[in-house]
Amino acid sequence: MSRAIARGVRLYLTQAWFSYRALYFWNTPFNYLASKFGFPFFAMLLFLFIGKYDGLANPVYIVIGNILLMPSLNGISGVSMAVTDEKRFGTLSYLLGSPAGRAPVFLGRALFPVLDGFMTATVAFPVALLIFHLDLSKTNFWLLLFCILLISFTTSGLGFILGSISLVNRDGWMITSTIAVGLYILVGVNFPVDLLPPFVRIISYGLPMTRGILAARMALAGASWAAVSQLLLGEVIVGIIYTAAGYGLFRLIERRSMVSGALDNL
Amino acid sequence: MIGRFFRLAWRQMNVQLQIRIFNRDTLLLFFLQPLVFSAVGMILARAAGNQAPDLVYTVIGSGIMGMWSGLVFTSTYDIGRDRREGVLELIVGSPTPLARVEAIRTFTNVMAGLVSLAAAFLAAMLIFKYSLAGANLPGAFLSLLLILFGMWCIGLFLANFLVWSRLGSPLVDFLELPVAVLCGFMYPLRVLPDWMQAISTVLPIRWALQALDETLSGGRDPALLWMQWALAFGISLLFWGLSRWLDGKVHDRVRVTGELSSI
Repeated sequence: MSRAIARGVRLYLTQAWFSYRALYFWNTPFNYLASKFGFPFFAMLLFLFIGKYDGLANPVYIVIGNILLMPSLNGISGVSMAVTDEKRFGTLSYLLGSPAGRAPVFLGRALFPVLDGFMTATVAFPVALLIFHLDLSKTNFWLLLFCILLISFTTSGLGFILGSISLVNRDGWMITSTIAVGLYILVGVNFPVDLLPPFVRIISYGLPMTRGILAARMALAGASWAAVSQLLLGEVIVGIIYTAAGYGLFRLIERRSMVSGALDNL
Repeated sequence: MIGRFFRLAWRQMNVQLQIRIFNRDTLLLFFLQPLVFSAVGMILARAAGNQAPDLVYTVIGSGIMGMWSGLVFTSTYDIGRDRREGVLELIVGSPTPLARVEAIRTFTNVMAGLVSLAAAFLAAMLIFKYSLAGANLPGAFLSLLLILFGMWCIGLFLANFLVWSRLGSPLVDFLELPVAVLCGFMYPLRVLPDWMQAISTVLPIRWALQALDETLSGGRDPALLWMQWALAFGISLLFWGLSRWLDGKVHDRVRVTGELSSI
């Protein structure tokens, strides 16, 4: 039993490392920074100036929300790409033909994007402190860090679903990009979710990040662990549901491909 | 001669439009992304306690943004795709100059982007009851033409620049939204800090867009409008000149090394 677990953990870490190398090792620092901070940073500036023109009293709300959204870039696009690129580069057949356990192979693809997303947001906060003079005097830092880590994990669940969809749909990247852009409205990045129409609010609370971002905002204002425990629990549950759904979808696609014998024609 | 050019233009535009139609990312760039930015603008206006959003900036501005996003992506990725799929050598080797092919392609991309602006105008007029009564329509039309001309010139410059550079993807990240921020697609330029306003003066779209805003809100000050139109046209010509210079460099380099794919 313990040997099986050790083998699973080793496989998980090996897969995570190979997936990380495949996604990032060819990258140059300029490319990496551009993909990491280019769109998110300038989108934040755009929303900030829109808010300023509209006469918004607290534009810092937008800054914090956009920083907290940064891990989603890794969690959604990074994880989705890690799954989809197996098909694009013709390695999916080898992967599905191997006897390796599917769970570590599949879940391992999220480890480094999650850590990278966590690091991105963690670095962005001190930078924002300097540029936008964020008031962090009351911040519960450990709780804030935990919230960022949690957000990074839960968004990877959505990434798994989108990655699996991309295996069977040629417009997968467009769907992923659309959902990533839609998050600017849906998860409380630029304004509180309460401002959305009721039916959209239901979608918002069904998505990862909504509760996590709310909890992180409370942590920035100095909230205790107990005060945000319900939100964190909700975020964990949503994250697990999405990851399980993504894994289930992947297995379903795998079974279908085994029946048809056309792995790369999925 | 003229007939041959129009036949070439027609075929190139036909191919380019088919690529745009079959590429679903077009849907995201022309419609979905502007829709999201517009919706955020509207909700922020409501959060700030405004009775109604400023339709020129929030809705029509998002249409301009759709045009711009579409152009940046197509101008930068078209060449990359040609290179990846091995078509670039064939285009360069054909008797038709690469510059002419790029000019027609970019023109098609700019004109295709008009659907984004048209959708935004329709949304503003049909859903939000935006009225053009009182607008300086001839002035607005001229401003729009200058926006299209400015985009065409910048698109040509980008396309030429990316023939000998592989910075396509990161360049898009540093062009798409920064230009939208600097040109004030979704807010008036006075919102920006002075140093950002100073940077934006080198972008022709900024001047044409300012003229469009002026004319849509009924502005008829001829001195101001002519200055903005002249600046938009002049700076666009500078970009066009730069793209011609780059085109010469590309051809020289291709002839000297004979290895277009390794550039």
